[in-house]
Amino acid sequence: MPPRETNPNFMNGVPELLILRLLQMDEMYGYEIVQAIRTRTDAVITVGEGVVYPVLHALERDGALKSRRKTISGRSRIYYSITPAGSLRLAGLSQSWSNLASAIQKMLSGGQHGQSIQPTA
Amino acid sequence: MASPFNQLRERLLRAGVAPQHVRRYLNELADHFNDLRAEEERAGRSAAEAESAAFARLGGTDDLANAMIAQRQFQSPFRSFCVRAPWAAFGLAPVLLLAAGYLVACSILASGWSIFLSGSETPFVKVSGIAEVYFGIGRMLYLASPVLIGWAITLVAARQQLKLLWPTIGLLLIACIGAGAQVHASRSTTVSSGIPLGATHVVLSLNAANASKVLAISPWHAATILTLTVLPYLVWKLRSAIIQPTS
Repeated sequence: MPPRETNPNFMNGVPELLILRLLQMDEMYGYEIVQAIRTRTDAVITVGEGVVYPVLHALERDGALKSRRKTISGRSRIYYSITPAGSLRLAGLSQSWSNLASAIQKMLSGGQHGQSIQPTA
Repeated sequence: MASPFNQLRERLLRAGVAPQHVRRYLNELADHFNDLRAEEERAGRSAAEAESAAFARLGGTDDLANAMIAQRQFQSPFRSFCVRAPWAAFGLAPVLLLAAGYLVACSILASGWSIFLSGSETPFVKVSGIAEVYFGIGRMLYLASPVLIGWAITLVAARQQLKLLWPTIGLLLIACIGAGAQVHASRSTTVSSGIPLGATHVVLSLNAANASKVLAISPWHAATILTLTVLPYLVWKLRSAIIQPTS
C-alpha cells in the first residue's frame, strides 16, 4: 500500500514553515528541500513532491526567499535561500505553530488551555 | 514524459496562470522528475519502473495544477482582463491597434512624399534607392497590420484557451476593416485656411459607402486576410491533433 499523503486540511502553512526553516540553514534546490523534509520529519509529512514549487515561487514573490541559478556537475538548478524578511516570517510562523501545538497537546492530555492563539499576519 | 506535463501546461494556462510562471514551474518539475528517476534507478528499479515511481512521487496532474492555481498571485492580469472584458480585448483593442498601424503607415507615406517626391502630384509612383525602402516600410506596415493583429488575436485566444465568440468577432472586424481601408493622397491646389499651396494630404477611408465595390472586391480581400490570420492556428491545431495521441 502506498504511503498516505498528509491530510491537506491540516497542512495549511506547514510546507511554508518547513521550507523557511530548512533554508535558514542552507541554500537548497527543490529536490533537496523535499528530501530534507522527508528525512527530518521521518516521512510523517508526505505530499506530492512537485507541489513544493508553487510554495517556493510564492515565498520568493513575497520577498521571503530569493533564488539564483547555479550549475553543478553540468546541471543547472535554481537554488533558494532565505531573506531577512523570510527570517522574520519564519519567527512569526514558528511562534504561531508552537502555540497551536502546545494548545492541542494540552487538549489531548485533558488539561485546560488559557492562552489564546494569535494568528500571524 | 511530455504528455503529463503537456496536460499540466494546458490546464494551468486555461486556469489563467501567467505563461512565464507556467514555464518556470514545468522546468523545475522536469528537473525534479529527472532527480527522482535517477534516485529510483540507483535503488535498483528498471527504467520503466523508475519513471513510473518518479511520476507517482512528483504528484498527479490534479495536485500539481491545483497547487499552482491556488496561488492567485500567479494569475495573469491580461487573462483576467480578457475574461472580464472580451469585447474590449478582442473587439476594441484590435481596432485601435489597427488604427495605430494605419496612422503610422500614412505618416510614412506623407513624410516620404514630402522628402523624396516633393515635386510629384502623387506619392504612388515608381521610386528607387532609400525612397523605395522608406515607402516599402510604410506599405508593408499597411498591408501586414491586419494580419499581424489577427495573429495576435488567435495566439492569445489559443494560448489562453478562451471561448471563440469574441476572438471570432475581432477577426471578422479586422478582416472587414482591412479589406475596406483605402488610402487617398492629394496635393492642395489653392491656399485655404492657413494650408499652403501644394501641401500634401493623406487620407484613410473605408469604402463601405460604395456598396457595389464592397460586394465586388472587398469580400475576397476580407477572406484573404481572414485566411491568413486563421491558417497558422488551424495548422497548429492539426499538428497538435496528430502529435497528441502518440506522445
